[in-house]
Order: sequence, then structure tokens, then C-alpha cells
Amino acid sequence: MNEESKSQRMMDDVQVAAVTVSASIIVFFVVYWVIQIQSVIDLLELAYG
Amino acid sequence: MLLSTSSDFNSRSKTITVGVLLTLLLIFSFSSLRHESWLRLYDFFLWLETTPFGVLGKTWGAVFAIVEAVHLLAMALLGGAVLISDARLLGWCFTDVPAVKIQNEAHKVFKVGLVVVLFTGVFMACGVAGKVYWLPVFWYKMLALATGIFFVFFIRRPMLQRNFRELNPWVVKLVAVSSMLVWITVAATGRWIGFAGS
Repeated sequence: MNEESKSQRMMDDVQVAAVTVSASIIVFFVVYWVIQIQSVIDLLELAYG
Repeated sequence: MLLSTSSDFNSRSKTITVGVLLTLLLIFSFSSLRHESWLRLYDFFLWLETTPFGVLGKTWGAVFAIVEAVHLLAMALLGGAVLISDARLLGWCFTDVPAVKIQNEAHKVFKVGLVVVLFTGVFMACGVAGKVYWLPVFWYKMLALATGIFFVFFIRRPMLQRNFRELNPWVVKLVAVSSMLVWITVAATGRWIGFAGS
């Protein structure tokens, strides 16, 4: 394996890892904040109808 | 054969590490381990309140307020560095300045902000350890903070130190968006602790 293709594979590695972590962060962000906002809406409805 | 396996692992080490960490996190989150660990940490949090930081934070409100002000200023510094560097990656601003230059300068500011945030954050947590222990939002903030630090130093920074032309533009944009989201979560959950604890 020459140095160039090795470097290419290393780059692919960090990009695949970046996509995996980024996707996890975005999914967590959406789920977490949707739940939090919904719970605040429920609380306000209980308080003020 | 062994050499080939070792080479494969080295060339995929980050992906494998991320996969293993995500799996461990999911197992931890959806098993009794999470609750058991939380229970075991109670004594540690009570002890934090008895440390000099805890006593100082609880006894002198003015000291706590000053440290909190520094904490917020450092968060602004950190947030500014994140926003500038991510906005540049998305092509929203400073497009006439090379992205590498912005990333390098912003990363220096980010590191200063992070160190101050961590020091002042530990001080503040010691003062209200017995209270924040019971707040779920505090634990989500710790998760977001750990994720953000891991993301910056293990993924984002090593990736952006490479030649930008070799990177997939969509991956760069995805990293910028997720970076902003994770630090927005850190800041927002931090503010939420203030509301929830009052």
C-alpha cells in the first residue's frame, strides 16, 4: 500500500466517523428538544388550560 | 494475515472507536447500569459540597455570582469561536478568508474558552452539587459537554487539519451543523439548570 492510498483511507476513516457522530448528534438533538418542548407545552396547558 | 488485520484496524481506528463508544453509550443508557451509577454518585456529590470550592460557593453568594459571570463570559467566547468557525464552514461569513486560517484562530479561542468554562463550571457545580444531582437536565448537559469535547478533539479538528479539497463538502457541512447543535445544547441546558434549580 503506498503512502497516498494509505492517506486516502485515513481520510475516509475520519470522514466516516464524522458522519456517524454528526448523525447521532442531530438525531439526539431533535429527539431531546422535541420531548422538552412538548413537556413544556403540556405543563402550560395544565397550568392555564 | 495478522499484519493485514492490524493495518485495517489502524486505517479504521476512528470509525471503530466511534462505533464502540456509541454501542457502550446505548447499552449504558438503556440498562440498569445508568440508574446504579447515578445512585453510587450521590455520596460523591455530597462530598463535593464539603470541598473548599463547595463551601466557598455556598457561603459567599458574591463569589459564586462572580464565578458564574466569568463562566458565562467564557461560554460566550467558546460559543463565538464555534459559531464563527462553523459559519465559515457553511459559507455564511468570511468567505474571503481561507477556511483553514479561521479554523486555526477560532480553535485557539475555543480552547481558552473551554478551559475557563470547565474550571468555573466545576467550582459552580461544587456549590450546588446536592441540587444539580437531582436535575436530569444537568446530566444531559454533562453528556452534551462530553460529546462536544470528544467531537472537537477526536473528529472535527483532525478532519479539518487535512487538505479541504480532499474532504467531501457535505461531510464538512454536516460536521458544522452538528457542532453548532451540540454546543447550543450545552449552552441551553446550562441555562435550564439555572431555571430548574431556582
